Amino acid sequence: MTGEPVTHATISTSRAQNPPPRSLSTRLIRHPEGRFGLACTLLLVGLALFGPLLAPHDPNQPNFRAKLEAPSTSHWLGTDQSGRDQLSRVLDGGRRTLGTALLVLSCIFGLGLVIGTIAGMSGGIVDIVLMRLVDVLMALPSIVLAIAIVGVLGPGFQNLVLALVISWWAYYARLARSYVLNTRQRPDIIAARLAGIGWGRILLGHVLPGVTSQLLIVATLDLGAMIAAIAGLSFLGLGVQPPAAEWGAMLSEARLYITLAPWLLFGPLVPIFGAVLAANLLGNALRDMLDPGVSR
Amino acid sequence: MSTSTVAAHSALESALLLGRALVGRLLQALLTLFGISVIIWALLPLAPGDPAQRLLQARGVQDPTPQQVAVLRAELALDRPLLVQYVEWLRRAVRGDLSLSYQTGRPVLQELGTRLPATLLLAGTALLLSLVIALIGGLLSAGYHERWPDQLIRLLTQVGVSIPAFLAGLLALRYIVVEFNIGRVLSGGQWQYVALPALCLAIGRAADWTQLLRASLLEALGTNYTLVASARGATRLRVLWRYALPNAALPFLTAIGVGIGGLIGGSSIIEAIFTWPGIGSYVFAAIAARDFPVVQGFVLLAGISYITASLCVDLVALLVDPRLRDGGHA
Repeated sequence: MTGEPVTHATISTSRAQNPPPRSLSTRLIRHPEGRFGLACTLLLVGLALFGPLLAPHDPNQPNFRAKLEAPSTSHWLGTDQSGRDQLSRVLDGGRRTLGTALLVLSCIFGLGLVIGTIAGMSGGIVDIVLMRLVDVLMALPSIVLAIAIVGVLGPGFQNLVLALVISWWAYYARLARSYVLNTRQRPDIIAARLAGIGWGRILLGHVLPGVTSQLLIVATLDLGAMIAAIAGLSFLGLGVQPPAAEWGAMLSEARLYITLAPWLLFGPLVPIFGAVLAANLLGNALRDMLDPGVSR
Repeated sequence: MSTSTVAAHSALESALLLGRALVGRLLQALLTLFGISVIIWALLPLAPGDPAQRLLQARGVQDPTPQQVAVLRAELALDRPLLVQYVEWLRRAVRGDLSLSYQTGRPVLQELGTRLPATLLLAGTALLLSLVIALIGGLLSAGYHERWPDQLIRLLTQVGVSIPAFLAGLLALRYIVVEFNIGRVLSGGQWQYVALPALCLAIGRAADWTQLLRASLLEALGTNYTLVASARGATRLRVLWRYALPNAALPFLTAIGVGIGGLIGGSSIIEAIFTWPGIGSYVFAAIAARDFPVVQGFVLLAGISYITASLCVDLVALLVDPRLRDGGHA
């Protein structure tokens, strides 16, 4: 599984200081991969938001007279072992898979931003303690740590979110801290300090905007890995529990009927692949734009 | 001082430096493992409900009586304060005793040990496959830069990094095992059946490493020394192999270090899909049964393998790249 967070060493923090001439969204749309990734991502977000409205059937309504039916005009993706409409479940499950990914990434983003900024601004013993914690958390692949934490807390949706946040935020904190440290030494910040402007205003006006944009890029790059991790852990029965529809959990049910009803695999499998691919393309395009040094 | 003594002196010095760096890294690794164990134990009180009750329920006792719970609590020393339990666990762990599995009552280390060979076989084969694929793919892609083999490989690697291992595993089960009856759905961990799960495990890493090797090869091909080599009449293949590859190897090696360490823990999902009798499938069974000592043992094992792998790769990098050694002297 490509579960590890992407290595972001290529993003140099200094580049954020000279903003590109054109707006990022314009350049993203002109980038062929970026355009495709953006379109797919928007499509998936749209499906996640409005999917349940498009669903032709109730995703949780069993119909034991129509179990494991092959795809037909009334059930485009067939029916599962309880006769539930697979298409409706895929549409309903997308909300859960993508929503969870966004939820986890927002938590990681917030936690990393706050802890990294505190460490970078305070220095001294606070910095040392926080960074030791970060080192320990980063010493294991995120997915292994997440499995272990779910193992301790017990399977379930809440614990999955908690496990992913705990195992994933450390990288963001380290990045935020290094950005804050770099910013503090910039001439304009030193000038501002000499002019008598307080740290609070410098933090809000100069440091936080830069850190936020840096972390947003990293979060975009991580979106694909996060979707894969959530679906993977739910597939293993560690996350969203049946009967709730979630792409990974649906796959683990479909796996049991792999010879009887192989079509059940494709409903959840295609969107997981599509979501990870779209997120990766979008992330690559962003990275290209912000770091033109990378060879194509 | 003659030149030979100078050389011997500097060799001794670099060996000393290397040794010191190693000891430092080992101490750091021990501290990290300690930190991981603290984090895992600190999470324990967050687990809902009483551990003994959960364990009894996992064992199939629907409504455990208070007596049953009390007996089990005493038996597993769960009635003592968490800190006391942790210190006791740590004291034993230092001596290589990872305490007993709640489920089977056998030592965790022994249980993990019997399943380790299967995981190592799977992870090792996957590693070998990823390396071979990445090397061939990266060289072809950089060698035919912007021509069709490059474009094809770029497309394939883009798909490869976007397909999570468990999706690849499911597709392999559906199309190779079920359709053509090659390999087995329920494998027993024998070496004959390792190819398919290993390939599924390898795809993501192979694709990732191919992209990385391609990028660093292209970077090396853009430098003056490769230009000079071409000007002196070296063939394209020789420039790639003799000049570009050694210089592109370093970032590649670092990525491999991260990748190897992740293989031991990361193979879990593939093990679960192919019912491969390794550590991964054992741990998932343990998680379902709320077998905390096993989970704890798994984390330590994954941590040790991850740290060892990155240490080994750092050493290899030091041997491969003389610039790093010179840097150590300065």
